[in-house]
Amino acid sequence: MEFAYFHLMPYTASPETTKDWPVPNHRFDPEIGHELYTTYIDNMAYAEECGFDWVGCNEHHMSPFGMMANPNIIGASLIQRTKKIKIAMVGNLIPLLNPLRVAEEYAMLDVLSGGRLIAGMFRGIPHEYVAYNVSPSESYDRLLEATQLIIKAWTEPEPFGWEGEFYQYRAVSIWPRPIQKPHPRIIMSGSSKRSAEIAGQFGAMFGIAQIKTMENARELIDAYKNSAREHGWEPKPSDILVGLSLAISEDADEAKEMLTGGRKFFAEVLGGGIRTAQQLVLHKSRYYDDEMKGKFIDARKAAMISVDDLIEAGTALCGTPEQVVEQLRYVESQLGHGVTNINMKTGNIPDEAITAGMKMFQERVMPAFQNGR
Amino acid sequence: MSFTEKTASLSKGSVKYHVGGEGRPILYLHSGGGIRVTQPVLDLAENHTVFMMVTPGFDGTDYLDGVDTMEGMAELAKEFIDSEIGEKCDLIGYSFGGWVACWLAVLHGDLVDQIILQAPAGFRGKDAPGLPTDPAEFVKVMYAHPEKIPSEDKPEDVLKHNREAMGHYHSGAPMDNALVARLGEIENLVLVVHGTEDGAIPKESMQLLKSKLNRSHLVYVYDAAHGLEIDQPERVSLLVNDFLARGEGFLVNWGDEAAGFEAVSKA
Repeated sequence: MEFAYFHLMPYTASPETTKDWPVPNHRFDPEIGHELYTTYIDNMAYAEECGFDWVGCNEHHMSPFGMMANPNIIGASLIQRTKKIKIAMVGNLIPLLNPLRVAEEYAMLDVLSGGRLIAGMFRGIPHEYVAYNVSPSESYDRLLEATQLIIKAWTEPEPFGWEGEFYQYRAVSIWPRPIQKPHPRIIMSGSSKRSAEIAGQFGAMFGIAQIKTMENARELIDAYKNSAREHGWEPKPSDILVGLSLAISEDADEAKEMLTGGRKFFAEVLGGGIRTAQQLVLHKSRYYDDEMKGKFIDARKAAMISVDDLIEAGTALCGTPEQVVEQLRYVESQLGHGVTNINMKTGNIPDEAITAGMKMFQERVMPAFQNGR
Repeated sequence: MSFTEKTASLSKGSVKYHVGGEGRPILYLHSGGGIRVTQPVLDLAENHTVFMMVTPGFDGTDYLDGVDTMEGMAELAKEFIDSEIGEKCDLIGYSFGGWVACWLAVLHGDLVDQIILQAPAGFRGKDAPGLPTDPAEFVKVMYAHPEKIPSEDKPEDVLKHNREAMGHYHSGAPMDNALVARLGEIENLVLVVHGTEDGAIPKESMQLLKSKLNRSHLVYVYDAAHGLEIDQPERVSLLVNDFLARGEGFLVNWGDEAAGFEAVSKA
């Protein structure tokens, strides 16, 4: 089992509940933001010392949900602070961006890091489409075309042009080219059946950022595997990443209290604005198919359930190190994944508790999953 | 826009051709499917006089004695330009026709101006897979959107005969090494166009061509296979007409005013 350390970089210094979209940025204090960036980057770099195999950055816009409007900037910072850990961009939101800029920045990160980049080609969540004024209905088609174009930009030995539906370029020859050959390892989101199928189509790794239910995760993994087989390859466990929240402590009740408080802050403060935007998208576009609409509502309900229920369902890791080992073994037995993406900064869980928890996870959880590492 | 069928009397015999449109002349050398007046050809004819020469042996025509090589076809095309066009022209070669176009440019580059090679044949590596013989599989390889094939397309027996006719002009070797060795002699400005889903001609062929041609641009048409004029007619038209109208300036995005053939037709 490989372990990825994931961070949303939330802005936690403005605890007011809000449903506004976009979240007014007068609530952002740049001085506090500076301190938070420092704390978070220190924490993410510490993941290498704690034995994590990957450290993960991701992209979000216009809310306290996350301060990584461009995760590649954080990735570049982490590269300078680390030696071995893989730098996972999970991811750039490909349909919203200039694909050539993504190809260039990812190539820069790969060269800067000596080939440590894991290149996420993610579709993103609905509010990002509102933020960047891109039609959510085009999300899948843009993802498909842009991903092909990015791979082309990495791998073509001669200058080329591209005449597409969404993207047109007449002369492309990016500098630098990536170190990894034929190109950096790609990971794609598996948040819907179609996304899972696209990941299989591209021969990419597949990642569920946060599993909703075990049944849903199994369905998505099956869709991914079936798609991969249709395209002539067989995914390994190491091609499948599953994301889980983690709260760990010597005292199981303390861990539950942390996660409960963090989830409440996440739901009421960090997630309020983006839920408003998501509702707008849900009602006015085809971003979600009917199947996804149902699952989105299920996910909303899931946000209200207790930590005990989450643990019982296998969708969060919480408790003493021994309990966490047992919980993770259950998830592994159910999903057969090879990479666990750990998110410890749920809401406003204190950073000191997270740092202590990372060490505890390294010393008392990771050793139980050494096989194949 | 209608095309008229005519006959040219050349030194080796008669050659049929279709001509349509008005404007700067352009010679169009067809693919192994034979003549097809597709939407991009019609768009081209908005601003050009398009001469579509039928390769002898295709579309029910007879072979000509002494014309049985790719170089021989290029010489025939040269004589066609002299006889029917009468001035320097632009040149489009599609697949099999792209192969002929390359030989024409090597042997008589002074007779043509800008060249467009659409998925040209003749540069397939020895490891490139052959084309399937099963008609259904063949369609899958040739088209990303077979549903766009016009219902009035040629009968399968004609298409099959056309495919066989290609063998009259070359040995079947995937790579024309003699031609590759001379590609550097071409001084014309060349646009190479290839579909991202082309299952007949691999992208490595286009990369080889791009690396050998002195003044060339390679553009991939997204979501198009070998039959790119059928799969993505609008993208092909935009690209081809912009290149023909602006030459190397087609690299620059001029916004709405550079919308290829539309801009040209408004001028």
